[in-house]
Amino acid sequence: MINFNINNFITLATQIVLAAIGASLIIILLGASPVEVITSIFDGAFGRPEKIVKTMLIFLPISLAALALIITFSGGLWNIGIEGQIVLGAIGASWVSKSFLGESNISPYLQLIVGISMGSAWGLLCGLLKVKFQVHEIFGGLGLYFVGSGAIIYLILGPWSKQGIASTSGTDIFPKESWFPTVSSLNIPALPIFIICLIIIAIILFLSFSKLGLKLKATGVNPDSTNKFQFNSNSYIYLAFLIGGGIAGLAGVFQAGVFYHKLVPSISGGYGFLAILVVLASGKRVVPTLLLTLFFSAMIAGGSQLQLRLNLHSSLISIILSSMVFFWLVVNSVPVKKNISRIINRGHNASF
Amino acid sequence: MLPFESSVVTVISLSAPIILVVIGETITEKSGVINLSIEGTLLITALTAFAVSVTTGSPFLGFLCAGLVGSIAALVIIICDTKLGMDQIAIGFILTIFLGKLSSFLGKEYVRIPGPYFQELSIPILKDIPYLGPSFFDQNIIVIFSFLMIPATWYFIEKTRLGLIVKAVGENPVSAQNRGINPEKVRIIATVVGGILIGFGGAAFSLHAKFGWSENHTGNYGWICLAIVIFGGWNPIRAAIGAYSFGIFQIIALKMQSVALGLTQVLPLIPFPLMILTLIFIQRFNRSDRTTNLPKILNAFFGGQSPENIGKPLEKN
Repeated sequence: MINFNINNFITLATQIVLAAIGASLIIILLGASPVEVITSIFDGAFGRPEKIVKTMLIFLPISLAALALIITFSGGLWNIGIEGQIVLGAIGASWVSKSFLGESNISPYLQLIVGISMGSAWGLLCGLLKVKFQVHEIFGGLGLYFVGSGAIIYLILGPWSKQGIASTSGTDIFPKESWFPTVSSLNIPALPIFIICLIIIAIILFLSFSKLGLKLKATGVNPDSTNKFQFNSNSYIYLAFLIGGGIAGLAGVFQAGVFYHKLVPSISGGYGFLAILVVLASGKRVVPTLLLTLFFSAMIAGGSQLQLRLNLHSSLISIILSSMVFFWLVVNSVPVKKNISRIINRGHNASF
Repeated sequence: MLPFESSVVTVISLSAPIILVVIGETITEKSGVINLSIEGTLLITALTAFAVSVTTGSPFLGFLCAGLVGSIAALVIIICDTKLGMDQIAIGFILTIFLGKLSSFLGKEYVRIPGPYFQELSIPILKDIPYLGPSFFDQNIIVIFSFLMIPATWYFIEKTRLGLIVKAVGENPVSAQNRGINPEKVRIIATVVGGILIGFGGAAFSLHAKFGWSENHTGNYGWICLAIVIFGGWNPIRAAIGAYSFGIFQIIALKMQSVALGLTQVLPLIPFPLMILTLIFIQRFNRSDRTTNLPKILNAFFGGQSPENIGKPLEKN
């Protein structure tokens, strides 16, 4: 039994090394040095306390988006529309901040409520299209995302435009009361961190220990067969979009109320798509997802250093991340994994 | 010039890349495979075409190389799907990000520089026909090629045995296999051919419709093309109508630029709500129990079923 576990561990280690080699080859092919790139990135991400806070500010929305995706993927749904749900959450937060309530101290809490509700609504709309009209969630989600992007551009150039001149650089900065309160001189966003911790615990409890979570996962595995067990899979599709959309909306609230303090056209920062990469690699498990999100956030935060130090375009970060996820999925595919563990088993048995 | 003639010509000309892409994706999806990587593939192939044609001085070579790169991206997706049992949507998504960012990384030196053009092929006599002449017979090879691909693809899918085989694999690979067809091989070929056309589409952007290269040069067009394929109900002619309609939207947006700034930015996003509405229509009008009651003309507009086995992996016997 122990022997079996050791082999499993070696297989996992081999897979990680192979995926890292694959990504390193890509970096070398692009004319850079993997070691230089990685050390520069991690210095940029963790080198000074302010940098750690910056990494954390990137970690917040990506981890929320990834948690949202864990819920929707568990329900068997390809929620590519997550970017749209983030956008709607940010619009909700901006709506509160731009209204007369923006200058009252309850503004951040109202932003949470409105943003989460709007994200949920956008998710539910995608679910409605899927259940009632058989519109695949990928296309419905993308459609809704672009509708959301259109709305954001319209709002920034129209009703919420800067005083004086409308510009695509965003709205005016929100009133100070609408900023989420921070702690210490480093501006650590304590409330968002606390909320994320609560959500993590709730999701672990929900997926691993609740009947509802179990049924959601069953729906994800096979919606046709679950229908035969006297519960309606469709309601679980709605549930997944309701929760997932809400959490994604929360990510949007943080982008607007914690990070930018205004509404900008690219408010989601592509974090929804990055979170899809995270969850594809982590296989829907909460703890690996969070660790991987931390790695992703560090890469992105440190990526700004690449341009300064090594004169490399910052797009290299996404290239590295996506190629790592690709190679990770390849070494995890059934035929490749089988071969790796067969070779390891053979080598291991031979050495004894 | 005749009224609106120049607008018609512009629409036909600007839609060439989108036509090529939606036809490529239609062929791919007919065989049951979703190539989700279009957004990224378009960027990298647009860069390839422009870079090769600047370096070698031959836009034709650039066009071909873009097709090659497009086919490689498609090959990665279909090999991962059929041979490694990976999720084609996941791979397509990863490639979207990978190839898109790769184009930003590699394209720095080609941003906003001049390059060689395709010459217009003026066909005598035909080019003097009102509307049709300047639209189709006084254009460069890309536009003419894109236009010819529409009926050719329709004929291939609807009227040839090979087209029937592709459709059979997309609808029901198991039955196709029982009839002696190798669904894996068919899917690989259809996806690669589709990938070549998507690559040509990328080249048509950087060598023709949106000449040159800049970061995120074809941004969002890939997603729009995916929407138009569905709007077209997996039929090349209707997909082409969708592409031309999108071209009209773009022209309107361009002309309204001076009137309403906000509208210009929002109008290009119209295909998406339209796509959702179309999908709703398809579902409402085209259920098997209702099709018979539907007048034929309406069915031609709103009919069209997605291939039954689209996006699903092949079951191995």
